[in-house]
Amino acid sequence: MEIVSYIFLIIGGLFFLLGGLGVLRMPDTFNRIQAGTKATTLGVFSTLIGVAFANPDWIAKVIVIIVFVAISNPIGSSAIAKAIYNSKNVPGNLVIDELKERGEDNDNDVV
Amino acid sequence: MKNILGLFVALLLGVFIILALDTSASFPEFGDIDLTERVSDEYLDGNNIDDVGSANIVTAIVVGYRGFDTLGEVTVLFISALGVALVFGGVPNKQNRLDLKFKPNFMLKTGSKIIFGFILVTSLYIIFHGHLSPGGGFPGGAMIASAILLLYLSDDKFRSNVKGFKLLEGIAGSLFVIIGLLGLVFATYFLQNFLPAGTVGEILSAGIIPIIYVLIGLKVGSEISGIVDNFLTEGESV
Repeated sequence: MEIVSYIFLIIGGLFFLLGGLGVLRMPDTFNRIQAGTKATTLGVFSTLIGVAFANPDWIAKVIVIIVFVAISNPIGSSAIAKAIYNSKNVPGNLVIDELKERGEDNDNDVV
Repeated sequence: MKNILGLFVALLLGVFIILALDTSASFPEFGDIDLTERVSDEYLDGNNIDDVGSANIVTAIVVGYRGFDTLGEVTVLFISALGVALVFGGVPNKQNRLDLKFKPNFMLKTGSKIIFGFILVTSLYIIFHGHLSPGGGFPGGAMIASAILLLYLSDDKFRSNVKGFKLLEGIAGSLFVIIGLLGLVFATYFLQNFLPAGTVGEILSAGIIPIIYVLIGLKVGSEISGIVDNFLTEGESV
C-alpha cells in the first residue's frame, strides 16, 4: 500500500517537474499554458491518488479535490488562453486560427 | 504654514511612536513571566478541554472563553459592510451590475456553476467542523463570499439576491445575541455554554460553540457577499 502511494507521489512530482520545465522552455504563450496546466492537472491527480493510498480515510476528500481540479484547471487555462487571444498578443506563427476563420468577433464568443 | 504644522504633527507622532514602541520599562524580560499566574495557562490547560468540549483550542478561546469579543468582531464587520452599502449601495430596483469587458463563454459559465457548488460544500464543511478542525466561521464565510464573487466574474447576467443576504445576516446576528441571552437565563453570564459539552471530537459536542460558529459563518458569508455585490453594482444607481 505504502509503496504504491510512493510510486504515485513520485509520478506526480515528475509531472510537476515536466510542467515547470515546459513553462520555462516552451517557445510561445499557448504552448506554455498547455504545459503549465495539462501537466500539473495530471500531477495533482497522481499526487492525490498517492495520498489516498497512504491514508484511506481521506478518500472522500481526495475525490472531491480531484473533481474540483479536473473542472477548474482546464476552464481556468482556457479562459486565460481566450484572454490572451483577445488581447491581440498572439504569436505570429499560428497555423490554424478557427476563431478567425469563423469570422467571430473577439467580444462575441458563443462556443 | 500648513507645511510647518504638518512637520510638527509628524514629529509629535514620531516621538509618541518611539515612546510607545520602547517597551523595555513596561514589559518584563523574555522568559521572566510565571505562566501559571496568567489566564492563558488556564485556557491552554489540557484538563480544561473536557469542560469546553472543543477539540480545536483556538475555537474554544475565540467562541468559548472570548465569545463576547467575537460578538464585537462580528459587529465591526457589520459596520464596515454598512459603510460600504452606505457609500456604494443605492436604490436596489434601479441598479444594474457593472459590465464585464468580455463575454464569458458557455464553458466558463457552466464550469463555474459546478465549481460554485463545490466551494459552497467545502465552506459549509469548514464552518460545521469549526470546533473540530482548523477553520470555522470566519474563513468559511469568506469562502462563501468568494464563491459568490466567482459567479459574478464568470457570468455577466448574474445578480445575487441582496435582500436574502440582508435577511440571513440579520437573522444570524440576532440569533447570536439571543443565544448569548439564553446563557444568561439558563446559566449565570452572557454567552455561557449552557448545553452539555459531550465527547471531544464528535460533531455534536462543545455545547453552543458549533451553533454560534455556524451563525458566525452565515453572517460573515452574507456580509462579505453583500460587500461584493455593493462593489460590483457601484456607479449605476441614482
